[in-house]
Amino acid sequence: MGLISAIGDSMEQNRLALQQERSGIGDIQYYQTAYAGRLPSAEVKISTERLNKKIFGTPLASITRTSLLALYAVEEAIQDSHLSKQELISAETALVGATTVGGMCLTDELYHDALAKENGTSYLMSYDYASISLAIQERYGIGGEISTINTACSSSANAILYGARLIRHGFAKRAIVGGAESLAKFTINGFNALNILSSQPCAPFDRDRKGLNLGEGAAFLVLEREEDCRDKRKYAYLSGFGNRNDAYHPSSNSPDGEGPYLSMKAALENSGLAAEEISYINAHGTGTENNDETESRAMLRLFDQTPAFSSTKSFTGHTLGAAGAIEAVYSIMNIFHQEVYPSLSFRHPIPETGLIPVLHFAKQEIRHVMSNSFGFGGNCSTLIFFKNIVHGLFS
Amino acid sequence: MVYFHESVCISPQKSFPDMDLSEVRESENNLLDVIEPNYPGIPAGAKRRMGKSVRMAVGAALPLLEKYPLPDGIIIATANGGMEDCIKFLNQILEYKEGLLTPANFVQSTSNAAAGQIAMVTKNHQYNTTHVHRGLAFENALMDVVMLIEENKDAGYLLGSTDEISPYNYNIDRLAGWYANEYIANRNLYHSKAKGTIAGEGTFMVWVNGEAQGASARLVAIKTLHGEDVSSLQETLKRFLSENISSGQMPDILITGENGDERQQPYFDAVESTMDARVTVARFKHLSGEYCTASSFALWLSIQIIQSGTLPAVLIKKRGSSNASRQILIYNNYRGLQHSFMLVSAP
Repeated sequence: MGLISAIGDSMEQNRLALQQERSGIGDIQYYQTAYAGRLPSAEVKISTERLNKKIFGTPLASITRTSLLALYAVEEAIQDSHLSKQELISAETALVGATTVGGMCLTDELYHDALAKENGTSYLMSYDYASISLAIQERYGIGGEISTINTACSSSANAILYGARLIRHGFAKRAIVGGAESLAKFTINGFNALNILSSQPCAPFDRDRKGLNLGEGAAFLVLEREEDCRDKRKYAYLSGFGNRNDAYHPSSNSPDGEGPYLSMKAALENSGLAAEEISYINAHGTGTENNDETESRAMLRLFDQTPAFSSTKSFTGHTLGAAGAIEAVYSIMNIFHQEVYPSLSFRHPIPETGLIPVLHFAKQEIRHVMSNSFGFGGNCSTLIFFKNIVHGLFS
Repeated sequence: MVYFHESVCISPQKSFPDMDLSEVRESENNLLDVIEPNYPGIPAGAKRRMGKSVRMAVGAALPLLEKYPLPDGIIIATANGGMEDCIKFLNQILEYKEGLLTPANFVQSTSNAAAGQIAMVTKNHQYNTTHVHRGLAFENALMDVVMLIEENKDAGYLLGSTDEISPYNYNIDRLAGWYANEYIANRNLYHSKAKGTIAGEGTFMVWVNGEAQGASARLVAIKTLHGEDVSSLQETLKRFLSENISSGQMPDILITGENGDERQQPYFDAVESTMDARVTVARFKHLSGEYCTASSFALWLSIQIIQSGTLPAVLIKKRGSSNASRQILIYNNYRGLQHSFMLVSAP
């Protein structure tokens, strides 16, 4: 696994921040927008130029921040899984990427190129969503199935389940799956126009929550069948997944959280688990009025007793197309390290639902973790991860 | 086994509600735009709010969903989503200097808006996803459905593609050299010897399940490939044929995505030269124009050809000795990097 987010540029750094309850949400320092200093966001603390140099040595003129974040996270995932060059170029290695803004983080360049008679910028081929997967494919020569998925905020959860299915069906032996997103005027202004950005650090599941903070980052995971892992480190199993649609409104959840409920239920059925076996939920928990209440209602409908849950978006902001993958990595860290990460800024429960998230970092026995990702267009996806524990040790 | 049933296509040619290729509609300014029906099924208010790619997709999906009201999944391919809405929103951002903006264009421009709207309009809670992998978005969506049918043999799925050509993405791709700078009429597309081709757009929707009964065509196999090497493309094709066609046999028809761009011709030539004298070679981009999900137009044509048993003359490049039209190989390539083979046969 590999990831980069506002709270760190490696798995280890992310874990440290989660343990120390240190949020990455603050003023925008690098991205040029009128909202810098006005709308707190979770920016990755490195300039695009430095990131470009760090990855390519001689900076590449045609690559966007979103692709750079993706490449950065993929490199850690490849190192961490000891994938050889031979394995990377193999026709049996698939790559499934996800993003919602793609290369459109370059708002001004895109606008110029959309209208200019001549003299396009160096980014002409880099605006679309596929440019992220294609940048990875090109750098590592990945030889198998290559895909890109965009289902808004559930994009990278769907990339993960699509990669798992490619393996199950024999279209790949291993799959590199994940997502990337960078801050963009496009999304900042879009979410702001919808009145769902908070002027304070977000407070998921709090009664007085004011909205979400946008974030950026990338995370990638390497999936393999158990029998192909041999002596490699196995963090966890992807034991089930669900994908359902809320079919209610283009940009908000139905009042009783039908899509979220069906998605979690489908994931449980897919994994063969009973609801009470879930130890912990990494909730979608954006901090918007609509999401947190409807997600709470969906949890209350599905679980007789709601498991421990929290929203790590209070650390990373809402990283949109990367959120499902970043939170999948956190969920796996929950299992691997037997610990839970808190929801920050929570004070009072929502009166109608009364749910209280995990408020502090703690060591805890964790077997099955559920991770939720819900998006515009009614797209809801849930992943479940699992690891066998025998007497507190991993089997 | 994966079977195609009824399908709907909205394209620059007469394809909706029925195919009529007796006259070819001409391109204007290197562009083939779709002939849009008036979509009686979409409520007027909703129609006004929809961008073109979403409108085309919903408009093509609704007639199918009247016949098959309960899909077990909606799987849509679109490389760009609502490009026009996207640039309109960017325009707002710049014009009002990131001030108070209206969100409609933003929400409409997300690439999953088509799949989301179809689910919303038909109250469908099932599997729902959007594939956006540029020139292979449709092939990946089809792969998704192949896996879904394997997972759930009794299920039926709505599979579709939608991509619009707006002045903006046309301009970006023109500046990048993918659309020709000189004027090319679509009837002369294959003789232009130009760098670049002409632009197109379209929507295709099809009902797919595992049942042969009542089917129009069957998907025998699909294979995608990334890379610029002609010889590995040819090797992949030979392996694909040997795995899927009995030895010594060839498909009756090869339909390629030839598009007049001289840089891509070597790939089409290589595929064509792998065929023998029996195979009739056909092509379609002079009808559809070039766009990321154009291979779905070729699949729609193939289903029509197999069902009717006739190959419209306007598609033929080179007639082979086989007069049959039972098995069709579609080869498309997007910008010399993304290649796909789809083998389709009579059910």
